[in-house]
Amino acid sequence: MPKLEVLSEIQRKSMLMWPCLEHDDTPWTPMAKPLSESKVALVTTAGLHVRGDKPFIATQEGGDTSFRVIPRSAGVNDIIQSHTSIGFDHTGIYRDLNVTFPIDRLQELVDRGKIGSLSDNYYSWMGALRDVSGIVEDSGPEVARRLKAEGVEVVLLTPT
Amino acid sequence: MTTTGIVLIEEHAQRVKPPRMLAVPFFFGNALGEPDDAEYQHKVLQATFDLLDRNEGPVLERLPENMVPDVLKQGSELEATEPETLDAADELTALRAYYEQWVNGHNGRTAVGLSGVAQRRFRGVVRFLESYLAGEDADLKERPEDTSVHQYVRYCVDDLKAFYYEARMAQRPDGADRDIHDWFWSKTSMGALVMSLAQKMRDDSDDDAKAVAYGIAR
Repeated sequence: MPKLEVLSEIQRKSMLMWPCLEHDDTPWTPMAKPLSESKVALVTTAGLHVRGDKPFIATQEGGDTSFRVIPRSAGVNDIIQSHTSIGFDHTGIYRDLNVTFPIDRLQELVDRGKIGSLSDNYYSWMGALRDVSGIVEDSGPEVARRLKAEGVEVVLLTPT
Repeated sequence: MTTTGIVLIEEHAQRVKPPRMLAVPFFFGNALGEPDDAEYQHKVLQATFDLLDRNEGPVLERLPENMVPDVLKQGSELEATEPETLDAADELTALRAYYEQWVNGHNGRTAVGLSGVAQRRFRGVVRFLESYLAGEDADLKERPEDTSVHQYVRYCVDDLKAFYYEARMAQRPDGADRDIHDWFWSKTSMGALVMSLAQKMRDDSDDDAKAVAYGIAR
């Protein structure tokens, strides 16, 4: 069932009117080799970061478009969330980080031979931004450069 | 690089047109469906990685799942009742044993930690927020120099919410997420304090305060 049908009228209108980037076409990169031989990175818009790293902040100018690096070596106890939106249920991530940021699940897929390997670093932005130009022009290309430099072949994107 | 991902609002992916997206029916905050259910999370991940095999895009498919998400109301939509304890600091102290039970039962994991204040000193955080609400010149020594007092208020509020939610999850292990959310906003002194803080910040002439209000309560 499309989620808009079950949201409150306020939430539904907010989602429908959200200032998304709108594109006419889609960039397309086919798989170069099977997933079982590929290096995978995890990228999220859940507003996560390593404990002690600078939290995401609220702004009047469309939102915080900076990113945080989360080393793969960081465990679930090391990662916290500072997303400034309160329009989501926090209890899931309080119970289990993997419900948004599946670090344990990805490692299990490597152990099962489904994924070739994982990148040394994962990346996090904060979603619910009203102006993403800072990501398009600055932080997005920077993270892409870092991922390519690390030899990442597949990126898994998760929201919150 | 080849990308695939999960989207919570299908209509947004229709507009953005990313290469491969799996639309899931879950409520915001639960992209992989169910916490503490590794098998189900693997099912969602498998469906997401399956999109990598498609030959052309954009690919936007739905997870074949008919579940209806439990939609949480905003705090202001809930009817507030008289809290059992009128003093938020006393209420927090009464919940401390449950919070510590939660942390001990989860190998030390906690969502508390943005403010940099140890949870044993959270009564001081409550007093800081009450002073801020009263319009006094409030501050805490843990506030980083490059963080405004308004932004730091939000870090403190996030820590207190996480403390309360985790305490409640220990207190009511079988409680639904909706019940925890409703309890915080309608039955606790802390929920009332946070709601008042958000209103004060919305009314503030300072743009920084107004921006922070959005992330505290609605």
